[in-house]
Amino acid sequence: MVKELWQEGISARPTLLVQHTLRSGQHINYDGNVVVLGDVNAGADIMAAGDILVMGALRGVVHAGATGDESATITALVLNPTQLRISSHITRPPDGNKSGEILMPETARIKDDVVTIENYQPSK
Amino acid sequence: MGKVIVVTSGKGGVGKTTTTANIGAGLAKIGNKVVMVDTDIGLRNLDVVLGLENRIVYDIVDVVRGNCRLRQALIKDKRLEEMYLLPAAQTKDKTAVTEDQMKELCENLKAEFDYVIIDCPAGIEHGFRNAIAGAEEAIVVTTPEVSAVRDADRIIGLLEAAEIRKPKLIINRIRSKMVRSGDMMSVEDILEILAVDLLGIVPDDDVIVISTNRGEPTVLDEESRAGQAFRNIVKRITGQEVPLMSLDEQPGSLWGRLKSLFRGNN
Repeated sequence: MVKELWQEGISARPTLLVQHTLRSGQHINYDGNVVVLGDVNAGADIMAAGDILVMGALRGVVHAGATGDESATITALVLNPTQLRISSHITRPPDGNKSGEILMPETARIKDDVVTIENYQPSK
Repeated sequence: MGKVIVVTSGKGGVGKTTTTANIGAGLAKIGNKVVMVDTDIGLRNLDVVLGLENRIVYDIVDVVRGNCRLRQALIKDKRLEEMYLLPAAQTKDKTAVTEDQMKELCENLKAEFDYVIIDCPAGIEHGFRNAIAGAEEAIVVTTPEVSAVRDADRIIGLLEAAEIRKPKLIINRIRSKMVRSGDMMSVEDILEILAVDLLGIVPDDDVIVISTNRGEPTVLDEESRAGQAFRNIVKRITGQEVPLMSLDEQPGSLWGRLKSLFRGNN
């Protein structure tokens, strides 16, 4: 059966839905995508084979594409992680600038072999 | 049947013991029968802060081992009607008591007291697990510092995992000047991260150093601002609604108000 174009952007990876905030010391390890309906506090961490989506403030450490998928992305309503990892790339926020958190959804992905952060845009 | 409340924090030095002593004394002052239990075995401090160290004969380890009856180990404070202390042992460590022994102890104490307040040691290991074993409710103490709030978040996660739901928060040692200048976390910043109900706030007050050294809980001092904060917290524990006290230094003085007028701080 021929796949239609609109069906190509659909990930059939299993997805874990975390229905509360993750507190410091709590960790998730999942072979798929992870969605959090809450914050990811500093000291909490998520390791996912697929994408990570945080419907809240991301303040902890997340690792998307942990099994090697360089196309994995990390999206959060407030992207303020201690550390961000996609596949084998590790980045951290710029030094200094500990100003307050602003509600501004952003996505981190690898572009030209570098982790870049952009304002979240629904893909058209 | 009384309530067993554990006072914990994760981080050391944020004011668990001071809070336990002042809440205990404050509740006793308004007519409740209160016992405070020090579970910081090996590093006991609650006895010192209450000024009762010279009266210790038996301690919590003696009780769980059956060396004495519970009655014999309880120290009755002479200043207040119904305030008692069950001290920790200083010459043992936290492995000297098990969680089951703590549960049984709390059951026995519950039957005789209106409030059983448990002073938890710092950390998340054996001492912490002992302290929460018999508790129904928890008070988490933190200071407005990133490291303390981080540890408090961890502790709240562990409390929830142990089915002690809805812990209440006390933010201790607030310096309102530093909060205003943005150098110190505000109450809102902390609640944004910890997402628990606020039980009260206590200003940083030099009088605490004096009162803990002398063994005289400051909640009993009518002049003390920290004491007033603890009295408000005690009222909230008994179900009364009390507005949060203003933390601005010298709120009512004419000179203070003139100064802020000139500084444009209104």
